[in-house]
Amino acid sequence: MIGLLKGMATTMKHALDGSTFTVEYPDVAPEVSPRFRGVHKFSQERCIWCRQCENVCPNDTIQIVQDDQRNGEQYNLHIGQCIYCRLCEEVCPVDAILLTQNFEFTADTKDDFVYNKEQLKNVPWYKDIDPLASREPDRGAWIGEGEGEVDYQ
Amino acid sequence: MPVPLQANATANATAGQPSAPLADTIAGALGVGGLGGDVLGALLGAFLIANVMLVMTAVAGPWAKRKITAAFTDRIAVNRVGPFGLLIIVADAVRLLSKELIIPDGADRPAFDIAPILIPFSALLGFAVIPMGNGIHLADPETGLVFAFAAASIASLGLVMAGYASNNKYSLLGGLRSIAQNLAYEIPLVLTGASVILFTGTLQMSGIVAAQTETLINIGGIRIPQWFAFVNPFAFVLFMLANLAEVGRNPFDIPEAPTEIVAGYQTEYGSVYFVLIYLGEFIHIFLGGAIAATLFLGGPAGPILPGFVWFVIKIWAFFLFTQWARSAIPRVRIDQLIEIGWKGMLVLSFANLVLTAVIVGVLA
Amino acid sequence: MSLEEPTETEIEPVPQTAEELADLLGDRVVDREEHVNAPGFVVRPDDVQDTLRTLREEAGFDHLSCVTAQQYADRYESIYHLKKYDDPTDEVSVVVPTPSEKPVSQSAEPVFRTADWHEREAYDLVGVEYEDHPDLRRILLPETWQGHPLSNDYDQNRPQVVPLREHANPLEEDHRAGEDADTMFVNIGPHHPATHGVLHVKTTLDGEQIADLESDIGYLHRCEEQMCQQGTYRHQIMPYPDRWDYISAGILNEWAYARAAEDLADLEVPEYAQVIRTMSSELCRIASHMLAVGTFALDVYGDFTAIFMYAVRDREKVQNILEDLTGQRLMFNYLRLGGVVWDLPEPREEFFEKTRDFLDELPEALEEYHDLITGNEILQARTVDTGVLPPEVAKSYGATGPVARGSGIDYDLRRDDPYGYYDELDWDVVTDDGCDNFSRLFVRLREVEESAKIIEQCVDLLEDWPEDERTIQSNVPRTLKPEADKEIYRAVEAAKGELGIYIRSDGTDKPGRFKIRSPCFSNLQTLPEMSEGEYIPDMIASLGSLDIVLGEVDR
Repeated sequence: MIGLLKGMATTMKHALDGSTFTVEYPDVAPEVSPRFRGVHKFSQERCIWCRQCENVCPNDTIQIVQDDQRNGEQYNLHIGQCIYCRLCEEVCPVDAILLTQNFEFTADTKDDFVYNKEQLKNVPWYKDIDPLASREPDRGAWIGEGEGEVDYQ
Repeated sequence: MPVPLQANATANATAGQPSAPLADTIAGALGVGGLGGDVLGALLGAFLIANVMLVMTAVAGPWAKRKITAAFTDRIAVNRVGPFGLLIIVADAVRLLSKELIIPDGADRPAFDIAPILIPFSALLGFAVIPMGNGIHLADPETGLVFAFAAASIASLGLVMAGYASNNKYSLLGGLRSIAQNLAYEIPLVLTGASVILFTGTLQMSGIVAAQTETLINIGGIRIPQWFAFVNPFAFVLFMLANLAEVGRNPFDIPEAPTEIVAGYQTEYGSVYFVLIYLGEFIHIFLGGAIAATLFLGGPAGPILPGFVWFVIKIWAFFLFTQWARSAIPRVRIDQLIEIGWKGMLVLSFANLVLTAVIVGVLA
Repeated sequence: MSLEEPTETEIEPVPQTAEELADLLGDRVVDREEHVNAPGFVVRPDDVQDTLRTLREEAGFDHLSCVTAQQYADRYESIYHLKKYDDPTDEVSVVVPTPSEKPVSQSAEPVFRTADWHEREAYDLVGVEYEDHPDLRRILLPETWQGHPLSNDYDQNRPQVVPLREHANPLEEDHRAGEDADTMFVNIGPHHPATHGVLHVKTTLDGEQIADLESDIGYLHRCEEQMCQQGTYRHQIMPYPDRWDYISAGILNEWAYARAAEDLADLEVPEYAQVIRTMSSELCRIASHMLAVGTFALDVYGDFTAIFMYAVRDREKVQNILEDLTGQRLMFNYLRLGGVVWDLPEPREEFFEKTRDFLDELPEALEEYHDLITGNEILQARTVDTGVLPPEVAKSYGATGPVARGSGIDYDLRRDDPYGYYDELDWDVVTDDGCDNFSRLFVRLREVEESAKIIEQCVDLLEDWPEDERTIQSNVPRTLKPEADKEIYRAVEAAKGELGIYIRSDGTDKPGRFKIRSPCFSNLQTLPEMSEGEYIPDMIASLGSLDIVLGEVDR
């Protein structure tokens, strides 16, 4: 009997102390860590069309179309099919594609989730946080080649 | 000094006489006399009480259950729709009633349809004899307590009908379990309730309430009334346990056991039928609380506030207790349940009878 | 901490080296191979039972870890990976080649009960047939499937139609029990609140008691093995292990793959990375056990229990820490071959503080669980002496992890076959002799405490690690092509048990064969043993205490 009563006392204690573990989303925006992997953002200025991201994607989610002079024409990424593994960002040598912390995106049909490069460029930053800043310390840790500062501008 | 029991009855009714206070009040207010007045008053009174109970159930089901469970689990539940989320009741009602009523092909038709009607209405029937204070007491027969128990047990029939008529193995298992459980715990329930009769000497509900109004002891100026729960707490605990088993709540929620037999006897019911069964469960909980309050907690008695308010507080306290048990107590297995019922509770309730006889003898 | 002595006839010292084993097996050995982890003995298809029985009884190899089947250009091959419960570093592989036209070999089921399902899977996916197998039919794919997907001549474009009339809904057929009309046949699942995923259990009931039980799996089969065979070692395979045991144990699964691939390609992992790997793995283990305890409480306590929400709340805290570290809350993709992908997040002090806060609150939370669960008399009445799995049966079925440790078998790969930083830290292996549901639950709760100890030591180490020695990844080429025809089988202690991976390299940058030995697959096989003769609620409780994840069972 005692064990039963102790169990009941424990739950009653939780009921009476009034603290809640949940937050009232969407009134309160949830805490998202700086490294969170959300929707991709693509920068056409930086992309050198090396196709490494397309190569490494485990899911064949990225599709790149180039003309016969190897100029980049289309960059399509299906954000519904993507598994958000971040390998594309990891292998990109110029930080042309990166994963923002934005996890709120909707569409009417699954096909609307195929983002072309215009849409990928326009993905908003989540709460105006630039994720590159949070990756900055990590860039230096890559295989011992990371001591130098990389200046993209 | 405790006053001997056979003395006066106070408050509403004359002891030993069947009466229908609420019906009389209504008939008097409308100015209709004679048999027509009685019938009209009874009908209107029944309508009134049923509505009150259904309103409480409607608040308890969609809203209070979620709020209480959330409090136990450190969450905020329903707070978006309406003030404090109360309009969720409307939303739930619309949602549930607008669903398609699917009837399985092999269901045994009249039984399948009657079962969800039996369950809530048997509980509402039981409310007819419960004294709720301030003259709200629909019927007061001499055998009120027996009627209340009998009406509540009709639900077992409904459960087994639902289980068998659904043509579904899970439902069958649930129905069989529920009938085994109800049979096993009916006897301790009635026996423990009957021990109250030793105390009050009458089966009439108003008489039982009246017998609990005398003072038991006076502790430093605070008058402790002769509530049967204080006189014999052992009977109170037994009665609460048996009540938990009768309404099918943890630790005795085997007939429903969602994680084993997917909703048991309710599996094949949807839309309106489901609403009826769902509400029926809550009405049974409130009925159980009402009987417990009348028998053990002095009915609608309490300081300062009107009797009806105290009555409502007491049945909600019982509801809260079942929710609390639901959050913390595991369910027993069916063979353990039967064992506890026939070997444990039965023996204890007989012992309780003897104990009560001793206590009554001491008090008298 | 009890130690189970393996059944071996006590002769002179047990043969250990490959030469001694070759002598023991005598002329059954047709050829010798050398796998990276073990000596391989090639035997004829009709010598399988003899060989395995000799190895088990006279050499002490009582753990059939995995059965791999694959098809080469000129033959089929089944490999039996054997280990010892007492010493998992002692391994031997028995290789059974069979001709392409008629791939029939002897079944190992009479010797090791775990071969039952493993061989069914080999038959299902690759096409090798096993004689003497009690019940050789498809296990992961539907019964009407044509062809064997992992064999070389599988036609992907062939339509696989399952006409409904041929496979009528078993619910329609009420007379499954046939002659024995006293029993009732019930399908539990695949749609069921308590089957922990899409598991179909065909039960034959005698009243409320279970007369017979059979698990039907394969509803969550996602051809993970094939997908890993189509991905490059270096990058593309790593997101997949997260999805095997998807209940927060992602890093443990990734470590299984990382360990196998690193040993295959001879890659080093810097010490700093090992410590981070250890710490994040133990965090995953806590999250996984929390959920296991929570869902077990759901099964036994009913749907409105507060315990499930408390367990999920504790798991949320772990997931928040892991989110800071890896960037995701469930599918981490954090390990890489040669190390981890990122160092701890900056500022490091904040991360340490968060982790230490969590560890400080953990004893209190565990106290709550003990109050609510293990101290509860009704739960004890429900779980003690139900779902009993004797240790000998457990060993024969290849049960590992908390299921085995709850039966008193002292088997933990972190201690017996050390990897990562485990052998430098101070922690204990938890076992319990009860063999019932309660002891498995208890083992899990105690293991959370042990994991907390490991994490605390790791955090202390990481804080004081000198700044210029914080290498998180060794120098691994972008395209990794291990030598051709190297085979390896490596296992780690995942949250549910021994997760093993067999890789055969064929000289390209993608594996030639990738076989996953999932702990839940072997553990689930013990369900009929545990629940025959018991009641339905006990079976549900046993299923909960086995803690299966269908993603791992079906892969």
